[in-house]
Amino acid sequence: MLFNSYEFIFFFLPLSLAVYYLLNRKRLTVAANAWLLFVSLFFYSWWNVKYLPLILGSILFNYTIGGLLADSDSLKKKAVSNKAILVFGLTANILFLGYFKYMDFFIGNVNSLFATNLPLLQIILPLGISFFTITQIAYLVDAYEGLVKEKNLLSYALFVTFFPHLLAGPILHHKEMMPQFDALRSKVLNYKNLSLGLFLFFIGLFKKVVIADALSSIVKAGFDKSLSLNFVEAWVTSLSYTCQLYFDFSGYSDMAVGVGLMFNIILPINFNSPYKAVNVIDFWKRWHISLSNFITTYLYTPILRSCSRITFTHSMIAIFVAMFISGFWHGAGWTFIIWGALHGAALVVNHNWKKRKIKMPKFLAWFITFNFVNLSFVFFRAKGWDEAIKVFKGMFGLNGFIPVEVYENFSLLNIFRSKFGKTMLAGIDGRNSTFWMMLLALLFALLLKNSNELTKEFKPSWRTFAFVIIISFYTLLNMGKVSEFLYFQF
Amino acid sequence: MDIIEILNGIFRQVFDDDTLVVSRATTANDIEEWDSLTHINLAVAVEMKFKIKFALGELQTLKNVGDMVDLINNKIARQ
Repeated sequence: MLFNSYEFIFFFLPLSLAVYYLLNRKRLTVAANAWLLFVSLFFYSWWNVKYLPLILGSILFNYTIGGLLADSDSLKKKAVSNKAILVFGLTANILFLGYFKYMDFFIGNVNSLFATNLPLLQIILPLGISFFTITQIAYLVDAYEGLVKEKNLLSYALFVTFFPHLLAGPILHHKEMMPQFDALRSKVLNYKNLSLGLFLFFIGLFKKVVIADALSSIVKAGFDKSLSLNFVEAWVTSLSYTCQLYFDFSGYSDMAVGVGLMFNIILPINFNSPYKAVNVIDFWKRWHISLSNFITTYLYTPILRSCSRITFTHSMIAIFVAMFISGFWHGAGWTFIIWGALHGAALVVNHNWKKRKIKMPKFLAWFITFNFVNLSFVFFRAKGWDEAIKVFKGMFGLNGFIPVEVYENFSLLNIFRSKFGKTMLAGIDGRNSTFWMMLLALLFALLLKNSNELTKEFKPSWRTFAFVIIISFYTLLNMGKVSEFLYFQF
Repeated sequence: MDIIEILNGIFRQVFDDDTLVVSRATTANDIEEWDSLTHINLAVAVEMKFKIKFALGELQTLKNVGDMVDLINNKIARQ
């Protein structure tokens, strides 16, 4: 089920909340958690019930392995070492993800490398698999290192499937979540959290439905449909995608955090105005924060620790490798690998500059960072190498700057006519509004306070009330066509 | 020597700054160079000095020098 659907907002969410608090009020706390697990699985199965056994299998497997790892008392009795169990658990998770996410990519590459003709398996990626797999990988590592102990299958299953974060994060840590599910004060309806949660939810919904979805048709036309793009079209396409991705994913994250709050569960924030970043290191502190933390903790650190000595060069290699892997985690394709490698390389350059204490004016620093990020997202969005090159060709002016028709009949007055946008952006089916939609979205991302800042300032007042009513009504009325979140494909 | 004094030495070494003085309340915001990567380098240097080992999942929870001191104490006591 999607957050941006009427059935979620008017049926699923209110019912889940009402029954949850009702059961808790009757002191049926176990039943309340069981209810939450049930609705989460229902939420997951709404999309395709076929994959329900898959997520349940993954949960049971990891719960068992985690239990074995945490059970240090019987350590001596065990025939196999804890390390062997961990390695087995991690391998199984990676193979599981590998089969569903990377098998066809692998076969495709084998085919083109050895000129073979192996049939693709046409595996459909089960929703959320990348997220629930890495959440559980972190859990296994924590269990191995003695940080967590979980003796309750219901709690564990709830931790993994809790529907606000299940499909696309934020990526959670067991030791941050479980005390919250167990705390008694989480079990009483808290009006402050409820109102804050609704506030965040509707901000997120607005970002998704009103901003991100409005940009999607231009992005599709530019990336998927057009055969070649001129300079203006290519930049409009690429900047529109950069905005779409941010408003889509941060909108989703706001909604997730908001829904969590309604259940008195604090989920970690995922975004902090990433496009305001003044260097790439800064960008990764602001973009998909829960993933950055995961990469630093569970990829970068073990890689660095495996080096004989900790040197600057080793840590640069570790960063590059970690970002490379993170790129591949996003999707089974060379474009994602290139994207990850580009960010890895940029981080290495950035750390080198930092080490040499190279300073530059803030605006220039921002400008370079933003353009790097924007260009890198072309690889992130493109379905393949050719498509990326098509967009880059346009962006670097290799296909001309503007259509001939525009300077043939150019006059300043034309700019204000509705025909202007249509001729200018003919290749991507654009209109005048295409320009200002993109510009407005960009300015929103760059100049306005982000949802974390708004949450901190949140005061229940008539003004806030009016604000929420206006954006929620406007959004709900515009929610005609339901569209999936971009991050669901990962 | 006090744990915090030893830590001060490690901080000076990792951040390459001989004037650095840390207290329990020092956070990443007080030292410009302290980012998520130097954080790990710092942790690894601490591990070597005190002959302890941090769990991966513990590293993100160390928000200031005080947290670090407490965790080090904890680990030494458990040995």
